[in-house]
Amino acid sequence: MVVLVVGIALAFDFVNGFHDAANSIATVVATRVLKPWQAVCWAAFFNFAAFAILPLEVANAIAKIVEKDFISIGLVFAGLMGAIFWNVLTAWLGLPSSSSHALVGGMIGAGFAKAGTDVFTHKTLVSLRKTGVFILYSPLVGLLLGFTLIVIVMWLVHRLHARRAVNRSFRSLQLISAAAFSLGHGANDAQKTMGIIAALLIGANKLDASVLDNPDGLPLWIVLSCHGAIALGTMMGGWRIVKTMGSKLTKLEPMGGVCAESAAAATLFFASYNGIPVSTTHTITGAIVGVGSANRLSAVRWNVARRVAWAWVLTIPGSAAVAMLSYWVVEVFN
Amino acid sequence: MDRRAIFFLAAAAVCGMLTPLIPIEDGKPDITWVGKSTAVAFAILALLSWLDHAGRRRSP
Repeated sequence: MVVLVVGIALAFDFVNGFHDAANSIATVVATRVLKPWQAVCWAAFFNFAAFAILPLEVANAIAKIVEKDFISIGLVFAGLMGAIFWNVLTAWLGLPSSSSHALVGGMIGAGFAKAGTDVFTHKTLVSLRKTGVFILYSPLVGLLLGFTLIVIVMWLVHRLHARRAVNRSFRSLQLISAAAFSLGHGANDAQKTMGIIAALLIGANKLDASVLDNPDGLPLWIVLSCHGAIALGTMMGGWRIVKTMGSKLTKLEPMGGVCAESAAAATLFFASYNGIPVSTTHTITGAIVGVGSANRLSAVRWNVARRVAWAWVLTIPGSAAVAMLSYWVVEVFN
Repeated sequence: MDRRAIFFLAAAAVCGMLTPLIPIEDGKPDITWVGKSTAVAFAILALLSWLDHAGRRRSP
């Protein structure tokens, strides 16, 4: 049973890559710097390489959503079911919602179905509060950095009187910014599945709970398999979402693409270092809106941004509700 | 009316209101500065955006 749920967790990671990682390459594809297949290979490589660079603080935070005494195989299974169902639904509808918050919502719902509010201790609530606050902060920080970067770059370009030449240089720079964003994405998102697998193994008495005090002590097979699954998911792509993020939200030039990705990458690095599970989708959306609004606010297609915002609002309650139902079904079969 | 300035002002207000909700965890760095600095930065951007808008309207 443990092996089956680990397999489902890795499948979730794969779907996460399929659903979310497309964001890493949306701007590169939209600005035609790379062909779609080249872009997915580029992003997948850096998704995988992230394991060697960033600390495992996010895995630690996710593993602590539910108090360890309450964790069981059924609870983790139900949490994953809630998140996977929500991801599949939003992917089918072409909405760039957050896999990360679907996972957080799934775990909250399953935990609540098992033990009501007892499942959340002061420590877990503090961690959840941090995650909740950064649901709003991550797109705003991305927006702020994106806007500031593009304004600085546009001012420099204006002084150099060489917009076309600068845009050509930015086409090459976009490869670096896309790589940085993919690193940030791999680090933050793959670690969420690591946290789930760690919690599952602790619940099944296959891993010592002390590992949560030193997340770098997680078994290497968990780290590598999670990064491998997300990289594979990225390879498979999520083209409906690439289209929404890359061209529907606002039109981007290479210069804008570099600024948006650099802003989002910086936000993701900060979050990963501080153990905050944020959504890569939220972050890149904020950064793209920031870059688009530097021209004028009407450059942002607000009706698309509004659909995205609704998906955000509904993600945690939606995935939590499905996870609760899943947990009760699991209990019936138990 | 400068819609961008209003947008930045709203973002500054949201960041400012969220700042007290950022928890300070034992043994972890205090990250409340993120809330404070984003609120201040958005407020500055709102002011600059409004000044830019006003300047454009005045110039022929």
